[in-house]
Amino acid sequence: MFDFCLCARYNIGMISEERLKILTESAKYDVSCSSSGSGRKNQGGMGNGYAAGCCHSFTPDGRCISLLKIVLSNDCVYDCKYCPNRVSADVPRTTATPDEICELTIDFYKRNYIEGLFLSSAVFKNPDYTMERLLLVVKKLRTEYRFHGYIHLKGIPKADERLMHEAAKYADRMSYNVELPTEQSLKLLAPLKRKEILLWPLRSWAVQKEQFREANRKGLIKGHFLPAGQTTQMIIGASPEADGQILRLSQALYRKNGLKRVYYSSYVPVVQDKLLPTVGAGQLREHRLYQADWLLRFYGFSVEEIINEGENLAMEYDPKCAWALKNMHLFPIEINRAPLEMLLRVPGIGAKNAYKILEARKYTILSFESLQKMRIALKRAKHFITCNGKFFGEKNECAVRGLLAAAETQESAEQLDLFGMLSTPQNALIALHGQL
Amino acid sequence: MIYFFDGTKNGFLTTFCTAFKDENALVTHTQAQLVLGQESVCVTTNEDVAKRAEERLSVFDRDFSYDLDILMRSGMPDHAQIAFRYFRLLAKYKKPINKRLADADVFAAVSCMKKVGHEIHKLHGFVRFIETASDALYAPISPDNDICDLLAPHFRARFPLFPFVIHDVKRKKAAVYDGKHIFVAPLEQADVLLSANETEWQALWQRYYKSVTIAARTSTEREKQMRGNMPIRYWKFLTELQETPQNPDEN
Repeated sequence: MFDFCLCARYNIGMISEERLKILTESAKYDVSCSSSGSGRKNQGGMGNGYAAGCCHSFTPDGRCISLLKIVLSNDCVYDCKYCPNRVSADVPRTTATPDEICELTIDFYKRNYIEGLFLSSAVFKNPDYTMERLLLVVKKLRTEYRFHGYIHLKGIPKADERLMHEAAKYADRMSYNVELPTEQSLKLLAPLKRKEILLWPLRSWAVQKEQFREANRKGLIKGHFLPAGQTTQMIIGASPEADGQILRLSQALYRKNGLKRVYYSSYVPVVQDKLLPTVGAGQLREHRLYQADWLLRFYGFSVEEIINEGENLAMEYDPKCAWALKNMHLFPIEINRAPLEMLLRVPGIGAKNAYKILEARKYTILSFESLQKMRIALKRAKHFITCNGKFFGEKNECAVRGLLAAAETQESAEQLDLFGMLSTPQNALIALHGQL
Repeated sequence: MIYFFDGTKNGFLTTFCTAFKDENALVTHTQAQLVLGQESVCVTTNEDVAKRAEERLSVFDRDFSYDLDILMRSGMPDHAQIAFRYFRLLAKYKKPINKRLADADVFAAVSCMKKVGHEIHKLHGFVRFIETASDALYAPISPDNDICDLLAPHFRARFPLFPFVIHDVKRKKAAVYDGKHIFVAPLEQADVLLSANETEWQALWQRYYKSVTIAARTSTEREKQMRGNMPIRYWKFLTELQETPQNPDEN
C-alpha cells in the first residue's frame, strides 16, 4: 500500500513566504470561496467533502476563508485592462511547481486551516499548456497525494475540450469567469476573451454532466463529475451595464446551464487605465445584486418581476422591498393562512422564517406577539402582514417607504453575513432547517 | 422549590421525575442559582428511575435521547431548567413538540440546542491542529459547550491515518483518536513537542492570511462582521491571528 505519511514528509519543496504572497495576492480578487455541495468520501489518504461547506477563518475585509485560494502562476500573456497581472504590468512574477501546490494544500488541510484548494492561473505560454499544468496538479493531488478534500478548479478559456473534460473528473467544482456582462465590454477591456468562448464551456459542462448522470444511473460508469457543479463570476462597475442586464444574464445561466452560483465582484481600481473608471463600484451595489440573485434562486422570483432591463436596483431598500412597494395591492397578507410562496415574498421574512411560520401555525393561531417570541424581525414585515386579522403597520404608502429606507441604513451591515454560508440549494435547505 | 442534581444525564432524569408535578420547580446543578429564602432539595440519582423515564419519553419522541444529550452539553447557565420545561411539555403532549415554536419553552429549548449545534459546526472550521514530533495532531480548544468528543468523528473521517487529540482546556478533558477508536479522557495539561517543520507551516499560514485580505475593503464595519462570524473568544487558538507561530507550551 502507498505510504501516505512518507509522501507528505519528503518535503519536496516548501514554498517560500515571498512566493506564496505573490501567488495569493494574484488570486485574492476572485470571489468564490464556497466549499459546499460535494459529499466526496475519504478512500484512504486524507480528506473528504463537507456537503454543507465550512468556513475556516474570516479576514478583516469581511470575507471568509474556506479554500486555499491561489494561482499556479501570475505570469500572464494576456493584457486584460482590469487585471493587475496583465502582461504589460510591472509586477513580480512567479510560477509554482505542482508539488509545491500539493504540499501546501496537504499541510494546510492537515492542520485544518482550509477546506480544500481553489486553484486558478494566469495564462502562461498558451491556454493548452496552462490547462495541462492545472490538470497535472489536481491529478497529482487526487492520485499521488491521495487527497479527497474539496477542489475548485478554474477553467482556462480556449483550452482544449479534452483537457477540461479530464479535469472535471478530479475537481469538485469548476468555473469559467464570464468577467463582463456583454460582448462590447469584453472587446473593449479584455480583447483576447470573447463571449462565446467564455459561455460555451459552461454549456458544454452542463451537457456533459447530464450525460454522466444518465450513464451513472444505468450503472455504466462510476466516479465523479463535478459533484459541486459549476460557477462563474462577473466584475461589476468596470463597464456600463445596468443591473437589469446583469441579472438577466444570471437568470439565463441558472436556468439554461444549471450553474450553482453566479458571483458578483464589485470592481476595485487596482490598475490605472484610461478605459477604466477611477472609482470602484460601491459594495452596496454588489450587495443588492446578491440580494436579487437570492430572490431568483430561493424565493421563486423571476428577473422580469424584479427589474427592467435598462434599470439599476434601488439603493435605498432591498429588491424584495422594492418589489413589494410596486405591488402593494397584494398586501397585507394574513400570516395564518398565506401560502408559502406569498410568505416568501414578504419583505423582512427570510426563507428560514417563512418555514418557521409554516410549522408553528399548524399548532396555534399566530399573533403579533407569537412572531416576536419566535424572534422574527417585524420591522419591515409588519407593513405587509396581518396577524389573525390585525394590522400593526403603517397604512400610508409614503410613510412605509420612508420607514423601510430607515430600517435599511441600520441593518445593511448585518445582512452581509449570509454570503459565505448559503451557497447551494442543498445548503439553503439545510439552513432552512436550522442546521447551519 | 429548587432541585439540585449532579449534572449527569441520569441525575437530570431522576430530578425530572421528582420535580415533575411542581409548577414552580427550578432545576439546576450550579450552586450559583441559589436564591435566599427558597426551599431547595438535593436529588439523589436513581439509575432505575432514570432508565424508565428515558424509555418512556423516547416513545413520545424518538430523538429524545439525542436532544437530552445536546441540552446537557449546553454551556448556558439555565440549560437544565430549559430542558426540564421542554421535556415536561413533551410528556404533556405525548408527541414531538419541536415545531411548536410559538411556545416560549419550546423556543428556548430549540434555540439552546441550535446553539450547541452551531458551535460544533463553527469549530469544525476553527479547530487548529498542531503537528507533533510523533506525527499525531494536537488541537487546544475552549468551547462554550461541552462538545470536544462530538467534534472527533468529523476529523476521524478526514484523517483516518493520523491520531489526534482535541483538548478542551477549559473543562480539562480531551477527545482522543488513537488511529482506531475515539475516547474521552481527563487531561489537565499536554506536553507537546513540535514536528520539525511545524513553525514554518504556521508562519506560511499567517503569511497567507495577511496576503489574502483585500486592504482596500477593510473597514470597522467589515471587522465587526468578522468578529460576528468569528467571535473573539475563539481567537486565542487561531494560528493566523497570533503574532508569532503557536507553541502550546507557552500558553
